[in-house]
Amino acid sequence: MKRWTKAVAGAAAIALATAGCAGSGGDSSEQNSGEPRTLTVWLMNGSAPETLTTALNKEFEGANEGVTVKYEVQEWNGIQDKLTTALASQDPPDIIELGNTQAPSFAAEGVLTDLTGDVDSMNGDQWLDSLKSSGEWDGKQFSTPFYAANRSVIYRTDMFQQAGITAPPTSREEWLDAITKLRAKFGSDPQFQALYLPGQNWYTLLSFIYDEGGDIAKADGTEFKATMDSPEAKAGIEFYKQLLEASGTTAPKDNDEQNPEQAGIYGQGKVAMMIALPWELGTAATDNPDIEKNSSAFPIPSKKAGETAPVFQGGSNLAIPVNSKNGDLAKDYLKLLLSDKYQKQLAEAGMVPGASTDLSALDANPVSKAMAEASKNGRAVPATPKWATIEAGQNPLKDMLTAYLMGAKDIDTATKDANAALDAAFTG
Amino acid sequence: MTATIHTSVPAGTSPPAPARASGRKRVGLGEKAIPYLLLAPAVVVMLVLLGWPAIQVVGISFRKLDLGELVRGELVWVGLGNYSEVLADPEFWTITVRTVLFTASVVAGTVLAGLFIALLMRHLAGPVRVFVQITLVLAWATPILATTTVFQWIFDQQYGILNKTLVALGLDSFRGYSWFSSGTSTLAVIGILVLWQAVPFVCFTIYAGLLQAPKELYEAAAMDGASPWQTFATVSWPSIRPLVTLVTFLSVIWDFKVFAQVWAIRQGGPDGESTTLPVLLYLRGIADRSFGVASAIAVLMILVLLVLTARYLQLLLRTREGDVS
Repeated sequence: MKRWTKAVAGAAAIALATAGCAGSGGDSSEQNSGEPRTLTVWLMNGSAPETLTTALNKEFEGANEGVTVKYEVQEWNGIQDKLTTALASQDPPDIIELGNTQAPSFAAEGVLTDLTGDVDSMNGDQWLDSLKSSGEWDGKQFSTPFYAANRSVIYRTDMFQQAGITAPPTSREEWLDAITKLRAKFGSDPQFQALYLPGQNWYTLLSFIYDEGGDIAKADGTEFKATMDSPEAKAGIEFYKQLLEASGTTAPKDNDEQNPEQAGIYGQGKVAMMIALPWELGTAATDNPDIEKNSSAFPIPSKKAGETAPVFQGGSNLAIPVNSKNGDLAKDYLKLLLSDKYQKQLAEAGMVPGASTDLSALDANPVSKAMAEASKNGRAVPATPKWATIEAGQNPLKDMLTAYLMGAKDIDTATKDANAALDAAFTG
Repeated sequence: MTATIHTSVPAGTSPPAPARASGRKRVGLGEKAIPYLLLAPAVVVMLVLLGWPAIQVVGISFRKLDLGELVRGELVWVGLGNYSEVLADPEFWTITVRTVLFTASVVAGTVLAGLFIALLMRHLAGPVRVFVQITLVLAWATPILATTTVFQWIFDQQYGILNKTLVALGLDSFRGYSWFSSGTSTLAVIGILVLWQAVPFVCFTIYAGLLQAPKELYEAAAMDGASPWQTFATVSWPSIRPLVTLVTFLSVIWDFKVFAQVWAIRQGGPDGESTTLPVLLYLRGIADRSFGVASAIAVLMILVLLVLTARYLQLLLRTREGDVS
């Protein structure tokens, strides 16, 4: 009998979810302070360290009498579906963390609370540009920066030393020169790769395109137009190819840095460099504990000597669902989380804080230091709601790279096709 | 309505007491009701779990239902708007044709391979047959995504065992060959993967049918000097024909809506060239969160599937004993 009622209840829940008649219309009734209230906070696995959230929740509960913080850690896997159903429910979480590439899609659908008036009180003058723009839609601010991370070149100090490279490269020429030296020294080993670079690492490609002065798309209000066929974009792709061919990498040209996981290959000890996020070194070290002390990092070099290339910044934004019944409390919570005190703790945990320009805490570790150095020049993907669709679905940039690198298309056809596919996705 | 039949039966022996007759009548009704009562829970569960969502899908296909409408609980009717949007997209027609061709090839391959192995099994000696059967069961029992991962590695550009083997055999052009550089090649790999997982069921079903064919008939055919082909056509085929029809029908349904394997291999790429209808449904519904458009695609998929299986459904409706052949 029990199973029965469960099945019926489950079915009813599914039907309600699919029917979409569960929305509450956002008529949040303001409750008097002092009454017991619960603030539900959803942060993602691996974002804020537990020491930070424990202290934060304790401080917030102390400052707001009768308020309990219900703090829940969510998994990235399947989060988009979970957020969709949670936002449509009667009792959505009061604070959610969104991937910065997903944020515009939620903002454009009008399911997030407008925070434009609160920017100043949330450390707004120190916000990271790339995350601020991810949180904007139609001139309004719908989500705040949380933290960011960007790629740098993680390299083997011992191999660099043996190959006679005295200082990490600070320009494209020096980078290519280092590759030549490494291959001359270690090239006799057929498994050696001076730089591991798969064909579809489009995050790295973005760096090169930004460095040339190009971008994926141009925004005109809320309209976006792909610009992958621009001379700057083509120059970026050409450098990607030049680098890949110079590197002697055996990485697949028809796959990305996760398939196979590049950290695992770096961990095998036959790779001198990889373009990666700081924590990928930790992943590599699980197979090979010695590798961490023999590794360091430098920012992706620019074509202009002495500068670092702009980088794609991945990260998270924070938002308040429009159906939240505790909007006022949620704003106070955000103010506290975005204050200098907690942003500093984020930096200490190895992340680029979204609402603080103080990056000194990152200097303690050479890999984090390289990331922090490049982060000042961080960029985001176009803040179109359709970018989430592209990332969750089919990414034309990956197909473009593979087709060009394998010689299936020339650069003009490859970029033209990618441009058309992106434009179709932006308007579709 | 059954009273007349029941009263006429015991008429021969002794005249039935009225009380007894009415008692019988009540028992008769109860007996009639029992099968329906026993079926009722299953029917109710099916209606709730399958029927209601299906009706919902049809309803949603006439609405604009994106994340915003879902969260705000708005009801926005757009009539046939979603359908005209989907049908006006030339990409939809390309994908439909691609899906039908893919389904047809995989079903043909599966049924032929299953039939061939089933016939082979009849001729195998005991231990070898058991070995083949265990192998088939293992292939069948492996979770879909586990097999998919194995296949991804087999066909990997740099580290795949297939390319390495081909190079070792002297075919040097396969060094670094990408099996996923075109839609056709990608779909071929996915087709082999689906076939790999589907053959065991088809094979066992047909093999069960072959065991039904009387041994004497084979002996008679052999004595009459029938060729192997004649034996197959006159003895084996009649006993397995209904089962072959059945597994073909089931395979069409399964292969038409294959999603996990297609998505896991290359997300319908490169350039969307291995995108099938279920992948399109996912892209619109889950990735794009346009639930209205996705529902319209779902309804259209059911229509395509109905057309594909029309012949079988016709046979199924015509025959009473379920003897579809």
